[in-house]
Amino acid sequence: MAKITENTRIEVREIVLTFFAEECEADKSQINDNTSIIKDLDGDSLMFLELIEIFKKKYNLDIELKTIGKYAVKHPVETIGQLIEMQMLIIEHENRLLELEK
Amino acid sequence: MAGKVVITGMGIVSSLGYDLETFWKNLAGGKSGVKKISLFDASSCATRIAAEVPQEFEEFSRTLVKKRAAGQMTRVSRMCLVAAKQAVTLSGLDFEKEDKTRCAVIMGVVNTGNSSVEKDTSPQNTVFKSMTNSMPAWISLEYQLLGPNFAINTACASSAYAIAIGMQMIKNNMMDIVIAGGADSIINPEEINGFNALYALSVANDPPEAASRPFTSTRDGFVIGEGAGVLILESEEHALKRNAPVHCELAGYALTSEGYNIMAPMKDGAGMAATIEKAIENSGVAKSEVGYINAHGTSTELNDRYETMAIKRVFGEQAYHIPVSSSKSMIGHTIGAAGAIEGIITILSLKNNILTPTINYTDPDPDLDLDYVPNVSRNKEIEVALSNSFGFGGHNATLVFRKYHGN
Repeated sequence: MAKITENTRIEVREIVLTFFAEECEADKSQINDNTSIIKDLDGDSLMFLELIEIFKKKYNLDIELKTIGKYAVKHPVETIGQLIEMQMLIIEHENRLLELEK
Repeated sequence: MAGKVVITGMGIVSSLGYDLETFWKNLAGGKSGVKKISLFDASSCATRIAAEVPQEFEEFSRTLVKKRAAGQMTRVSRMCLVAAKQAVTLSGLDFEKEDKTRCAVIMGVVNTGNSSVEKDTSPQNTVFKSMTNSMPAWISLEYQLLGPNFAINTACASSAYAIAIGMQMIKNNMMDIVIAGGADSIINPEEINGFNALYALSVANDPPEAASRPFTSTRDGFVIGEGAGVLILESEEHALKRNAPVHCELAGYALTSEGYNIMAPMKDGAGMAATIEKAIENSGVAKSEVGYINAHGTSTELNDRYETMAIKRVFGEQAYHIPVSSSKSMIGHTIGAAGAIEGIITILSLKNNILTPTINYTDPDPDLDLDYVPNVSRNKEIEVALSNSFGFGGHNATLVFRKYHGN
């Protein structure tokens, strides 16, 4: 179980915002926690997977996609803020993510 | 059966331009788009020339295709979407005002161009780039259309088939609007070596612009082209209701199979003739009305011989008075896109009363004695024009276009 620091939070946020700004050709300063990934940015579900790959490499995470999938079904992500929170949980709990359900 | 089917929009991406105006100007000017291949090092290939879409197209496409989607598309898919967007813009369509369940997309797709020359393919976009249904899907997604969208593969006749099936869907009152066309590129070492092994391609590499010479005695195979052509098909009633620009009527078509050979056309053009005959019958036009034929005209020994024989078989003595030209002399053979691109050329010929030429017609084949509109375009008022497409596998299509005089 990784320890999440304020620096981690800032870093994750920066990666997510930069990723969406570049991929969706959006103004980064206009993206905030309430920005809808689909409605406001015209994003897609594949972007979530691409971000997971980025974080898996960056933080050397031990997590299977199916674990994230099972969690995401019960906790759907619609906004940037929700996505950042989920990425934080993934980094913190890795393959034990589903234990949060118990 | 519904009434007439009309063409209300067209879009094109080709070696001679990626907007209708530039394309037509170059084509009517008898310009060749054939050059040395730049997409990859072709020095080890027997064929080292092709009619490539200009590299500047990539920059242009960024103004019409979002970055995210563009990364999931091949270069060819981007050509297809750009041509579709041009066609929709020209038609004046606002899909938000349409019943989207009655809007379909049909694209002729032989392959998506996801070859060794395709750049920036990641594991995440490999599948999207390879899906042959991706071209109609991207168009459908762009406008959030809810009617069917699908791809048709009948080799070099693919996009002509797409147009024909689209027409039938409107005729049967299944759809109000069909976006039909196709896009293709086989400019890659695998395809070129494959076609070279079949002796299908010209190896007259120098000068490139003189290589495609349909109906001449020195023709030695087709020259590969690439691009996209997309048309907006609409019921006349629907088009008139929204005051759409009508470019011509799609009067009819014929689709046939030869059941003969995987590569060669049926001897003496019997299958081609049957297709042209059926198309005329289907469209209800009189043979005497046909004033121009945009030939399949590949610049191969067999096609040009048999297509000439087919036209004579259908029209008899009249064949000598019908101008027949091959656009492939200028833009090469665009394979899956050919039917749509050449359909658009035929429509522009009808609209502008200009017949585009067969360039490089310097050494006539004494056996091929029709009027091939040699070397320079010609002014001629025409009422009805045909566009032929014949594909490997014996897939034949003829489309019949008629000048539109209002309802």
